[in-house]
Amino acid sequence: MAPAMRGGYLSEGVPASDTMLKVFLWLRYLRKKKIVFLSIAAVAVSVSLLIVVASLFSGFINAFEQAAVEAIGDVVLYPPTRFAKYPLLIERLEQTETVDAATATMMMVPGLLHVGRGTGNVRPVEVWGIEPGRRDKVTGFKRFLLKQKNLPGEPTFDIPEAPEKTAGFVGIGVLGEPNEQTDEYDPAMAEQMIGTQVILTTGTASQPKKGDAAEPPIKRRVLLFTIADVLQTGVYQFDEACVYLPIEKLQQTLYPEDESPTAGQVLIKLADGAEPDVALAVIRGIWRNFVEEQLEGDPYLIQRTQVETSKELQKPFVAAYRKQMGILLVIFGVVSIGVILLIFCIFYMIVRLKQKDIAIIKSCGATSRSVAVVFVGFGACVGAVGSGIGAVLGFIITRNINVIENWIRIIFGLKLWRSSVYFFSKVPNEVDWFWAGRIVVLAVIAAAIGTLIPAIVAARTKPVEILRYE
Amino acid sequence: MYKIIIPTRYLLKRRITYFAVMAVALCIFIVLVVMTVMTGLVSEFKQKNHRFAGDCVVGTKSLVGFAYYEDFIEMLERADFIKGVSPVIKSHALIRRRDSERYTRVEIMGIDPAMHSLATGFAETLYYHKDDVSNAFRPAYDPNLPGCILGIDLELQRDAQSEYTYQASPARVGYSISCLPLTAKGALAQAGTDMIDTKTFYYSDNTHSGLPRVDISAVYLPFEQAQQLCMAGAEKRANAIHIRFQPNVTLEEGCSKVAAIWQNFRQEKTGADLAYLLDNVTVQSWRSYRRESIAPMEQEQTVMSVMFGFVAITTVFVVQVVFYMIINHKRKDIGILKSIGVSDFDVLELFSGFALLVGVLGSGIGLFTGWVFLVKINRIEDWLFERFGFQLWDRTIYAIGEIPNRVELKVVVAIFLSAIAACLVGALLPSWKAARQRPVETLQVNPL
Repeated sequence: MAPAMRGGYLSEGVPASDTMLKVFLWLRYLRKKKIVFLSIAAVAVSVSLLIVVASLFSGFINAFEQAAVEAIGDVVLYPPTRFAKYPLLIERLEQTETVDAATATMMMVPGLLHVGRGTGNVRPVEVWGIEPGRRDKVTGFKRFLLKQKNLPGEPTFDIPEAPEKTAGFVGIGVLGEPNEQTDEYDPAMAEQMIGTQVILTTGTASQPKKGDAAEPPIKRRVLLFTIADVLQTGVYQFDEACVYLPIEKLQQTLYPEDESPTAGQVLIKLADGAEPDVALAVIRGIWRNFVEEQLEGDPYLIQRTQVETSKELQKPFVAAYRKQMGILLVIFGVVSIGVILLIFCIFYMIVRLKQKDIAIIKSCGATSRSVAVVFVGFGACVGAVGSGIGAVLGFIITRNINVIENWIRIIFGLKLWRSSVYFFSKVPNEVDWFWAGRIVVLAVIAAAIGTLIPAIVAARTKPVEILRYE
Repeated sequence: MYKIIIPTRYLLKRRITYFAVMAVALCIFIVLVVMTVMTGLVSEFKQKNHRFAGDCVVGTKSLVGFAYYEDFIEMLERADFIKGVSPVIKSHALIRRRDSERYTRVEIMGIDPAMHSLATGFAETLYYHKDDVSNAFRPAYDPNLPGCILGIDLELQRDAQSEYTYQASPARVGYSISCLPLTAKGALAQAGTDMIDTKTFYYSDNTHSGLPRVDISAVYLPFEQAQQLCMAGAEKRANAIHIRFQPNVTLEEGCSKVAAIWQNFRQEKTGADLAYLLDNVTVQSWRSYRRESIAPMEQEQTVMSVMFGFVAITTVFVVQVVFYMIINHKRKDIGILKSIGVSDFDVLELFSGFALLVGVLGSGIGLFTGWVFLVKINRIEDWLFERFGFQLWDRTIYAIGEIPNRVELKVVVAIFLSAIAACLVGALLPSWKAARQRPVETLQVNPL
């Protein structure tokens, strides 16, 4: 039965249409029942916590994958032994549409670096033999060099004052430890070391002659070089242990018996938009042809050579990190059930206190369904508002996480993020909008679920029982 | 009596109270499980570090080391508060398995195994020579060969259950170890030939310290041979002295005594040729010595505690809202009580008691279910791994054995007290409002 109306209103100040009624009640309860703000605040805190956790983890995982790409390019061609005639292979790779750039390298030869005369400062290092110009095309290497990053042209090992000297690049962490309090390196100290001569000791076994069953002799190899530049990538593992030398010089030092240029691996940058699977197939094909034509078709080289994307190589670690992220989100998500309980309690309280209001509305013709929808909708709105505030809060905290971490260090003397523990010198601070969206949607749904039972209680209100005179 | 009867009645009759109890129980459950596992991991890690370092370490970070260590060891051995002393050579080296071309960088530790086992828990980490540590550097297949002890991850592969597969006896494998000998001035020693600072050792045993960085890079060599490989010059040097105290000596007491002995020793050696090498030597407890490894885990534990602290605030609000509802509904009860002489304080006490009851019940349920879950946690993980291939931590990546599940009393007490406090805080405002109600307002008949 339609309610009696005067000029479009049920009574003074109460609008006739259903939607208007809902909005009116929502605003009224919001104004009158300040406790609703508590549920909004609880939703906001929960959502912001989940967004921050998800963003930090995602940021770390992305930074981890990106660090791999910046170190070794998009794809690595990794034969079981070093191989000759690599310039020809690189030329063939770069001729394809799939490959943007390629470079040869000798990767991670272990060594000991004596830094500074008479100081006993000996550091264990990993030596990379590289072609600096090509490497820059593949990995964007130049931007990490302290001296050359702002200079025009390709990065180079050449020392203008002494072009005959062997030069190399050294990670900033090889030259000194980061500050104990701030965990930052001193670039001035590093720049002072440019031009210093250092001594690298490494070892190799020279190849035995064919038919010679004796074990290859072990040779210590010593190489003096001058520090031409210092590298700071922001990845602790690389900064504290990497030394980069010209690939030809490293090869001559380690393998003087080799007659032609040899390399250990090839790092490849794919063209924009190249499909990884297609690219891998193309690269494998080029390698097979190259080995058959230039390296006597050695089946060992063909079968045992790995061609992988850098992301694929990191996959086991990334999977472990994603699992940890999932577990932490589940734990905080379960705890956030407390927020649903809170919303339930608040709305149940509102429904019980406002029974007369509900009874009056029902007596004027509102259906049970529309009464229930009022409360469920209100719950969803509370969830939406709380999630919105939480998303903004989560965004602000995530984007300023390094500032916050610095303030914690200053105020409490607690250095929470150390590059030696967490790989990177800065906390990744990009918001993961994909996860943020999911969390917001789930929060709205959860808030609506929290109001379900109170809404049902409200819907089942019997006006005749509530409105009779006690 | 009414202060007991009324809260009990509300608990039994007001079903809304169950939600407060549930919220408390849920929070307690999560906090207990997470904190127990984290505390267990941190505690285990600290124990492993303690076992690795002994109680106190006198040493320098410089690879040159310091001289006159034998004189200092004599002074230490005369002290009755010291149980064991072990000099150690530390350096970096390159190692190559004899049947491979590949070199790996490692950290050399030159020790006397018997002395080192007295000063640290070294013997417990061995496999083949656990009960015969003095012969740790004698390979079982040929005791005359110079042996070496490798970090377990250098030789063996860990499986998905974090287990290693050992052979009945160590395989006969030779390792070439190349070092960079330094003079007392820190300069490279002149090598006569390319081979002079490379020596072959034979795999004799594994050390499984449980510390990832040690297990993947440490190689133990006989002390004198390591000294020859790493240190050039007539005067013998060492890099560190590990010390274990007698059981009745506290860490702080022991370390300050060692520091005092060191000061005396340092003064005695003033004017000696290599006295300048003693300037960089420090005396540290095992906690300071291993600070770089331990501190990050302790910090993570602190951060998790703070985060759960924020989350626990939700419990406070749930309790607050529930009490607000109950008090609103029971206004007439409160009015009657006050009209027969119950004071404001008594009303406050009544509802605080109710909050305590909710807290105790919720904590009890949460702690019990948490305890049961923890007791079964490893079996649950094994089942999940068998059925779904899911592991909380991938054991091939993380050096973790079983998930720690020993519930510590101090953790339980801390959580329990925090839950009670949270409930009391949550109920405070509604209880205070209830106490301030005026009977004449609450008992009047409501007009329609």
